[in-house]
Order: sequence, then C-alpha cells, then structure tokens
Amino acid sequence: MKFRRSTKLLVDVPAVASGDIAFNLIVFFLVCASTQPDTGRSQILPKSEQTQQEKEQDEHLTVDLKRNAILINGDPVKVSEVKARVRAKLAGKSRPDDRVVIVKSADDVPYHAWIEVTSQIEDAGGIITLQLEEERTVDVPQ
Amino acid sequence: MKMKRKQPKVDIPSVAMGDIAFNLLIFFVILAQSQDDSHIQWTPAKADNLKGSGYTRVTVTIDKDQKVYLNGQELSEAQLASRIETYLGTAPAGQRKVLLKAHSECTAAKFEPVIEAISQAGGELVHILDKKIEQ
Repeated sequence: MKFRRSTKLLVDVPAVASGDIAFNLIVFFLVCASTQPDTGRSQILPKSEQTQQEKEQDEHLTVDLKRNAILINGDPVKVSEVKARVRAKLAGKSRPDDRVVIVKSADDVPYHAWIEVTSQIEDAGGIITLQLEEERTVDVPQ
Repeated sequence: MKMKRKQPKVDIPSVAMGDIAFNLLIFFVILAQSQDDSHIQWTPAKADNLKGSGYTRVTVTIDKDQKVYLNGQELSEAQLASRIETYLGTAPAGQRKVLLKAHSECTAAKFEPVIEAISQAGGELVHILDKKIEQ
C-alpha cells in the first residue's frame, strides 16, 4: 500500500542575501569595465640626438607633414598613397640604417593625421625618425 | 524590590564575515590602481593593426586642452623626461613601455616634444589608439 506524503517541502531562496549578491555583481562588473585593456601601436624611435640636417636629408627618405599636404622627398602625395610610395622607395634596402624615414611635421599638424601617416610608413617597412626644429632664443638689441 | 535586568547577549553575525572581507578586498584592489587618469578628457585617434598595450607603470596623457599629464598628474614638458626616467628606473628592455594617450586633435607642437621626452628617457613608446572602423 502506498502512502501519499501529505506535506510538501517548500524551500525559499534566502531573500536576505539578494542585496549582497546584487552589490557584489555591480562591483564585479565595475572592476571589469575599468580594467579593459588598451589597444595601440608601439613605435620604436631612435634616441634623440643632434645631427647635421643636410647630410641626413641626402641619405634618407624625408616625409614633410603639413596641415593639408604630405610631401615625400618634396613630391606631394595623397594620404592613401603614402604606404605604396614609401614601400617603393625602400625596395631593396635591407639594412635598418637605410630604412630610416625622417618625418618633419608642421606645428599645426593634428595627432590623428600624424599617426595615420607614420602608421603607413611603418607598415611599409620604414623606421621613423622625428626631426624637430631646435628652439633658439635671440635677443634683439633695443 | 529590585529586579535585575538581564544582560542581552549580542553576537556579531559571523555569516556576513565572508561578504565583508570580500568587499574590503575589492575596495583595496580598486584603490591600488594608482594610475587614475579617468578625470582626463581625451579622444583617441584611430588606426589599423592595433595590439594590446600590455601592462605599464608609466602613462603620459595629452588632454583636449593640450595639457600634459604623467600618471594622472599634470606637469610641464621640461619635467617629463626626468620624471619618466625616475619611474622606469633600471628596468630592462621590454619592460620600459610608456603609453601615450594623446587627444586626436592635439598638434605636433605639443605631442612631438612629448614623444622626444619619452625617447630621451629610454621609454618604449606605445600610442594608445582606437581601432579604425571601415565604412
């Protein structure tokens, strides 16, 4: 003979702890969001040194960046053409010294334009070297 | 007749100890993230072929007002090279990463001296950028 169990066991989820659980979940996702890894491009730049401008310009490829123009060895090029032009100029050069590309930027060139051009130069196998104008103070006699 | 009041026995609930310890742990972990530069306003430039930047102790930021910050603290460009050198110490190559977070509209007059300072300090430059979405 079978007996039917008369009482059903009701087990409630302890509601007291749900506040703690929610709080911990919030903190967990906050921490995850704040530690999202950054992405970027590494750039190897030779240590800065003073060099003779004329000698370097003769030996290496020079890219002049203006606000609205890009010149490779004095020839104007479009942004989309930089990679192909630099690759063509560096073809057959295997030594790192020969692959140096001197980048000269006008003061008003924005960072996004600079990064776009230098990325293309690096993708074409060039080694970026920045040429900065040296600041000189001249006292004008009154 | 005086009735003696019974002293109520109050125990600290030991059930919550785990939760409290866990919350304290998270609190101190967040505090330990010393490079807090979340208050600096800047927009990253976009580029292709990006990689994870990895861990570093040194972050240089140029904000939208062209102010320079080292690990969240504002400083002048003249101080930058020596301060980065101090942070990097005698770390070997491969562990001398310096992240550069430059606002996309900041100009060469500002970011080039910063890049030069990083280079002078012997830092390995990593530009922090956003992935370019082709349209």
